[in-house]
Parts: sequence; C-alpha cells; structure tokens
Amino acid sequence: MGLFLRILVVCLSAMLAACSAPQTPPPSLFVLLPDDNGTVGSITVRNPQGSQTLDEAWQGTTVATAEAAPEVPTLLAADEVKARFHDALAAQAEPVRRFILYFEKGSKELTNESQALIPEVIATIHERRSVDTSVVGHTDTVGSNEANMRLSKERAAIIVTMLADAGIDPRVLETSSHGERNLLVPTDDEVSEPRNRRVEITVR
Amino acid sequence: MKRFCIFLLVMVFCPSFVQAQDERIGSIKNVEGQVFVLRGGETLAAEAGTLLYRGDQLKTGESGRVGVIFRDDTRLSLGGNSDLAVEQFEFAPGEGRLALVLRLARGMAAFVSGQISKLAPESVRLETPVGTVGVRGTHFVMNIVG
Repeated sequence: MGLFLRILVVCLSAMLAACSAPQTPPPSLFVLLPDDNGTVGSITVRNPQGSQTLDEAWQGTTVATAEAAPEVPTLLAADEVKARFHDALAAQAEPVRRFILYFEKGSKELTNESQALIPEVIATIHERRSVDTSVVGHTDTVGSNEANMRLSKERAAIIVTMLADAGIDPRVLETSSHGERNLLVPTDDEVSEPRNRRVEITVR
Repeated sequence: MKRFCIFLLVMVFCPSFVQAQDERIGSIKNVEGQVFVLRGGETLAAEAGTLLYRGDQLKTGESGRVGVIFRDDTRLSLGGNSDLAVEQFEFAPGEGRLALVLRLARGMAAFVSGQISKLAPESVRLETPVGTVGVRGTHFVMNIVG
C-alpha cells in the first residue's frame, strides 16, 4: 500500500512537472524551394554561431534562437512545406510579364510584328491592374552615344504616348532610356543589330 | 550664373534631393484580411495597387496576407502576424547602385528573387532575429517564430 501510494505520488508529480514546464517555442524554419522554371538556387542562413547553405529543393534548416547555430539541413516533404507556408505562398504575386518591341533601323517606327503586339501589352496592363510598368528604350551601336541616348528616349516616349492614347494612366508608366549601353545582343561599336533596336516593357 | 552655382552646390551636397524625386520601389498586388503599410509614422490600410516607397514597413493581422512586386521584379509575400521592413532598396543598374535588404521581425514570408539578385547577389540580404539569409538567385520560404 505504501509502495502504491509512493508510485502514485511520483506519477502525479511527474505529470504536474510536465504540465508546468516552460514550453520551448518551435524553432524558426528556412526552406529552399524550386523556382517556377524548375531550377534551384541556394540560400545561406548565418548568425554569429554558425552558417548553413541550402542548395537542394525542399531542404530546410531550423534555428532555435539567435544564440544557437543553424541546424544541419534536412530534406523536408514538399507537401508539408506547402501546407505550413500555404498563406504566404497563396499570396504570391504572378511573375512579371515582359514584352520586347523592335524598331526599324535608326528610326522611331515599330516593326510591323511589334506594332501588332501593342493590343496585348495594353490588355496585360489592364488585366493585371498594373500600377508599376516600366518602359525602357534602347538602340544598337550605330551612331554616337549622344544620338543613341536621344533616339532611345524618343522610342520610349512614342510607346508611352501609344499606351496613354489607349487609355492607360501615364502615372503607372515609368520611362527610362539606356541608349546603346544596354545591348540585348552584345556587338562591337557601329554594328547594325535589329534585336538591339528595342523598347522593353515590364508589366508588374 | 550665381544661381546656377547655388544649384550645383545643392545637387552636390544633397544627393538625397536628387533621389527623392521617385522613391517608388514597388507595388502591392494581392491583399487578404488586415494588411497595413507603415510609412513615416503613419499606418495606412494596404490594398491591391498601393505603391510602396523606400523605408516602408508591412504588417499583417492574424489572417492577413499580402503579395508584393518590387521594381526589380523581386516577389515577396507574407502570411499572418508578419512584420517586414524594407531596410534598403537601390535599383539603378546603370549607376551600379544595387541593394535589397529586408528585415522580417516575425511571421512568414515567401521570396522569389529578381534583377538585383541576378546582377549583384551579394547585395541581397534578408535579416531576421535569429540570423541573416544570403540569396543566390532563388525561391525560398521562412517562418520566424518570436
């Protein structure tokens, strides 16, 4: 009887201790995911106690506190990661949509193919309710830097006018011009290259 | 001439004056539940289409969610009870100014890198109370408990 009571007391006090023990919070978690196109980059999680690099999809590392080093990475189940991070992943914005419009040699005239793309550009800005769309003018390397700076600016301005005429609020359009300093296809100076005579539009 | 000299002096000694002309750094695309932008001591209710400026901070309520696209095409989203500050944003590739530093004080975030990571990966950093994340062109999630 004495023994039974003693066991009961030990059990009860153990249960009480378990209840009142301060619960350690779950650790913070970092997980690497595949990109939209399936490629995988890498991240490094670092604090003064140590660092860990994740370079495989669905690899994760936990960090208990700033005073503890990041744990050795482990492979997690994709479904569990998607469930735990559902809210943040569901709120992700769509990837940006980029258009490249090409121009005739040394001119502000769009090629026929590019002119035909304008309605799609307009529709995309409307559909996405974009308030932040970039219009960036470029040239090839024929002519002086200054002349090309001017031409790239005029190319961007022409596109902005077309979009504004179609009812797009010019305040959502951010215009800039790079002249011949940002070639799509790298070439020497004074090379006529149709793919460099362009305006790039990024709809965000 | 005198006026021009004063103008030059102002331009040389107050680079922030030049910068201040457009400090837009992105926009909010998706909002659900309670989401706020903290800007210069004010708290604004966020909605799809709200522009973001340098120095903004985003906070979500318990069931809040928000998705953002920065001007360099970086995409960032937050789940509930999250607190994220934009500590640095510089996207001027022509002038070699590139930096993206975000600070997640608590909550849940998903990050998809953009142009700044591509052009200057060492200039992209996500700070948290338990450590700092360096990014090499990628997609990742993090949950900061605290």
